[in-house]
Amino acid sequence: MPFSYARFVSFRNLVDSEVDTKAERIFLIGENGQGKTNLLEALYYLCYGSSFRGSVDQQIPTAGNQGFGLAAAWNSLGELGEDAGLEDSISIRFDGQIKDIRLNGKALKDRKELVFHNPAVVFCHEDFSFASGDPERRRFFFDQCAGMLYPSYIDSLRSYKRILKQRNAALKESAHDLLDVLDPQLVRFGLALMEERQKLHRRFQAEFPRLYEYVSRLGRPVELAYFPSWQKGMEFDDLVTLLGSRRESEIFYGTTRSGPHRDRWDFTSQEGSFTDRASTGQLRLLSLILRIIQASAVASGEDHDDYGGERKSRWPILLLDDVLLELDVGKRRRFLELLPPPGQGAQAFFTFLPEEPWTEYENGDTIVYRVHNGRFENQKRL
Amino acid sequence: MKAIEDLVSLLTRLPGIGRKSALRMTYYLLKADQGYTQALAERIGSLQGEIHFCSICGSYTEVDPCAVCTGLDRDRRIICVVEQPQDVLTIEASKEYKGLYHVLGGLLSPLDGIGPDKLRIASLVHRVREGRSKENSHDSVSENHKAMVEEVVLATNPTVEGDTTALYIRKVLEREGVRVTRLATGIPVGGDLEYADRLTLARSFRGRMPL
Repeated sequence: MPFSYARFVSFRNLVDSEVDTKAERIFLIGENGQGKTNLLEALYYLCYGSSFRGSVDQQIPTAGNQGFGLAAAWNSLGELGEDAGLEDSISIRFDGQIKDIRLNGKALKDRKELVFHNPAVVFCHEDFSFASGDPERRRFFFDQCAGMLYPSYIDSLRSYKRILKQRNAALKESAHDLLDVLDPQLVRFGLALMEERQKLHRRFQAEFPRLYEYVSRLGRPVELAYFPSWQKGMEFDDLVTLLGSRRESEIFYGTTRSGPHRDRWDFTSQEGSFTDRASTGQLRLLSLILRIIQASAVASGEDHDDYGGERKSRWPILLLDDVLLELDVGKRRRFLELLPPPGQGAQAFFTFLPEEPWTEYENGDTIVYRVHNGRFENQKRL
Repeated sequence: MKAIEDLVSLLTRLPGIGRKSALRMTYYLLKADQGYTQALAERIGSLQGEIHFCSICGSYTEVDPCAVCTGLDRDRRIICVVEQPQDVLTIEASKEYKGLYHVLGGLLSPLDGIGPDKLRIASLVHRVREGRSKENSHDSVSENHKAMVEEVVLATNPTVEGDTTALYIRKVLEREGVRVTRLATGIPVGGDLEYADRLTLARSFRGRMPL
């Protein structure tokens, strides 16, 4: 839901201040290293309580400070403007050791509680690895999506990873008696993950080929494939037996060699794996389309809301960090057409270099900030 | 002042005590009645000498075996397995349970090098078997004292390690002909559904019971 303002103290190179964000699109214009991405990082942090850059909290405070603070408010009805009604507030304070997250003044016990309040989807340079990087990076992306869509997914994933670590330790000790009890637990949580991933795959595959073809004009379909490590259709008992039959070999290697942690996601075309043949621009577009589908899936959510009624579409905050640079003019235009149109209560933050034709991307209510040395100068309201 | 610094440093090693709380305690002790501070120091000093582990159940006790293990009013057909001695006090406070206890002294965690040999699992199996052999003997102890163990209640926490430990104990007791049960998990008594988190609700649905 749209932020109406964001406030930051000792956060990276940003000068302590409050930024007005009451608009559907906010453009951040500036040279490299001025603080554009830092503002996106602060907004993401306000949505999830952590950074999308993977950095540890101790690296975030401005030089000379141990901690940092962030605060923001958003309209709980998902509307912008003065008359929008009730606002939710979030504040995050990190003192160098302990993180205090408060939603409407109440402390949160677990940062996962934030996930469903005001989700954000970030489009950043590192997303390129979803298309061309290790299978682990793709799993990370789809795990992130599933966590945003299915409430129990994060708990199942945490439990699975914990059991996996315990099992690997037991394999190194050849502790057969412990493996006998860890295997059923690994299968139980593994099956829960597989089921949600299959559901997620159906959701993505329903849109991915069409959207990718629309923007790329490639002329041949590119599909998203999900290859689970455990064969589809295998039941609980079959999998426990399978793990038992492979135990000696896994003890030899000292690690669990099958399960959802080895699942693969891939992009395929008629010739086989698409990522092996794709150009840099085509790979870049893969990651952008994934992010668009992620955002639209979060927007549409489940078929009904938490109260059993028909669910109103609520777009997540979109944070687009220099993502248009690597696309040609036609692809940029078609990609931007996929973003939510004005009037739907969606809010998007864009970063641009000064020489980019950012005025062409304005669509609806837009605030433009010039960013220089961590300061935000409100240039104009388009 | 070194005396204050030393005491603050020692107090901050206690669970749940930060530097600020330790300082408050220290200044309170400075002003407190000397009789109180001496009694406190003596109790702390003698604590480990006076409190021992019960040789049967592994709980804390001043007299070995403990009052629960020797109590004539305890139901010896049922043993409740817990992780820590503190868990015994928690369950006793409910006044619901009248059986015996067995403290494991931890939970299975291969990651931390805690295997079955580091826990009091072998002694649990021994107790279950011993109960059965007493059933077959004809000594003069009361009926209750020679009762065979019929049920083992696994009261470990519903965490990955707690569940692993419970599953392991169920496995090792399979051949002992004893009923193995697990504490129910789900919505707390007196709690509102609307305040239950999604995981607790999901687990409650999986463990639902016929009325």
